[in-house]
Amino acid sequence: MWLFFHKLGSPKHFYQLAGRMIPWFAWACALLMIAGLIGGLVLAPPDYQQGDSFRIMYLHVPSAWMSLFIYVTMAVSSAIALIWKMKMADIIAACSAPIGASFTFLALVSGSLWGKPMWGTYWVWDARLTSELILLFLYLGYMGLLVAIEDRRNAARAGAVLALVGVVNVPIIHYSVQWWNTLHQGPTVTKFGQPSIAASMLIPLLLMGLAFTLFYMTMVLIRARTAVLTQERRSQWVRELIEHHE
Amino acid sequence: MTQLPMFKAFSTLLRRDLLLAFRHRGEMANPLMFFVLVVSLFPLALGPDSRTLQPLAPGIIWVAALLASLLSLEGMFRSDFDDGALELMLLSPQPAPLLVLAKVIAHWLVTGLPLIALAPLLGVLLHLPAQAMPALLITLLLGTPVLSLVGAIGVALTVSIRRGGLLLSLLILPLYVPVLIFAAGAVGDAAHGLQVGAHFMILGAMLVLALSLAPIATGAALRISIG
Amino acid sequence: MTRRQRRMVLVLVLIGGVGIAAALTLEAFRNNLLYFISPSEVVAGKAPPGRAFRLGGMVEKGSVKRAKGSLKVQFVLTDFAHSVPVVYSGILPDLFREGQGVVTSGHMGPHGVFVATEVLAKHDAKYMPPEVADALKQAKRTTTSQVGAKP
Repeated sequence: MWLFFHKLGSPKHFYQLAGRMIPWFAWACALLMIAGLIGGLVLAPPDYQQGDSFRIMYLHVPSAWMSLFIYVTMAVSSAIALIWKMKMADIIAACSAPIGASFTFLALVSGSLWGKPMWGTYWVWDARLTSELILLFLYLGYMGLLVAIEDRRNAARAGAVLALVGVVNVPIIHYSVQWWNTLHQGPTVTKFGQPSIAASMLIPLLLMGLAFTLFYMTMVLIRARTAVLTQERRSQWVRELIEHHE
Repeated sequence: MTQLPMFKAFSTLLRRDLLLAFRHRGEMANPLMFFVLVVSLFPLALGPDSRTLQPLAPGIIWVAALLASLLSLEGMFRSDFDDGALELMLLSPQPAPLLVLAKVIAHWLVTGLPLIALAPLLGVLLHLPAQAMPALLITLLLGTPVLSLVGAIGVALTVSIRRGGLLLSLLILPLYVPVLIFAAGAVGDAAHGLQVGAHFMILGAMLVLALSLAPIATGAALRISIG
Repeated sequence: MTRRQRRMVLVLVLIGGVGIAAALTLEAFRNNLLYFISPSEVVAGKAPPGRAFRLGGMVEKGSVKRAKGSLKVQFVLTDFAHSVPVVYSGILPDLFREGQGVVTSGHMGPHGVFVATEVLAKHDAKYMPPEVADALKQAKRTTTSQVGAKP
């Protein structure tokens, strides 16, 4: 087990292992996404109240899940990087941020498009949309910090501290926004807040969630491989790799 | 080492920072002027009607206080970073979080406290009802230290970056959201005569949490910035 | 202090801080001051006497009476079990309608009338009080036909 982590921590082994894993993840992601899309867009019945417009949920809800999941992943790998000084953990955290920000943005846009038929307006200060917006700011701040510090090692470590501070704050922000929202508009009963969702609608949603997770893993591995090559460009094995390629 | 030098280091640093601040009284006044100016812009933009201003008053005062605090943050570690004093502090055997705490407290005493003293005046300008004044003062007293403590983390992360000011606001403002929600909410509720004890407890919880966590994160961030 | 001792102090401060913060938060929520109370609770005498509080419910259909030549409004708030008459003087929000959910803040006046100083309307059908959601659900259960497809 320890040997496995040790190997994963070394850029060279990571590069090779990731190269072998990417096709598997990518194919599984594609299959699940096709299944989820067919199940969600074709097979699932229209909602009794929202009609067909509820189908945007199959994009919105998994994006929102991913936006949180990726932030937590970033914080966990940041903690690993700070405590055990694992090089790869830094790279994973840094490579995750733009993907997470994209999912957050997607969740916001799809949420506001959903809001148009539901609420009659593109934007309401709904608790979930608001905390998603703040999450987007957190992502952008993290990315801004990484870009602003020139020394790459320092940038990664500063980013790690920021991600950890952020992850402590995410629940506080979430609950305060929720409380603020209920106070201003009364208790909200969202249809999907309850588990009373039909199985024919739920299964495609879970499939999409899994597909999005695999999509993230594929993307982060591709990005991390590139980052490894850039960072290790002066090392022996990268030179050999390039010469071999030529 | 015994207990004594640790607390002595704390008080020495606190006194040094306060002294430095009083030697630069002009700089101290800037965030305050900003606070007053921003608040007095709102009646000009919204009209002088007290019925418009009154419900907005808690939010306006709190947003202005938040921005003024953000503006004053940048200088917290700047001069010590430039002349190398910060590096020496971190190399000293004293625990970094304690030294950070001393600096944050000094900073809050010279920027946060005068802000609180000015707030009732601005409340009067915006027709905030008298029954909301105690709530305004208590929320500022509990909330602005949180702003300084959380802000210190961001300043520590960006201190080595030239022109890090804009980045600092991007890093810090999202983290200020909970304080803003509960503080402005408490003042607004107090203006309607509602009970606000629960709001104070939540703000108190945030303060305790920030007091125990932020100095550690700031210390770590300073170490990284100095490299 | 040795390094180990210092680390111990650090950990203790952390645990203490998080503990106090959690205790304060729990206490705040236990006080139950953060939410509003329903007409049923008012009728049951749970309203704080002589103090301001928030009252939430649906505006009963046909209960809104406006006084001519002034901003005074009377209406009845209900949670379908009990109802409380409300008087308010001021401009109502755009979304204020009969059959809509609102949250008001104010205090109990004489004769069981709630004197509101502020009225907040909720956004629309997506923001239904739980009672209405339940009523809708029951309507769905009893009738096999589709309940209006529009949002």
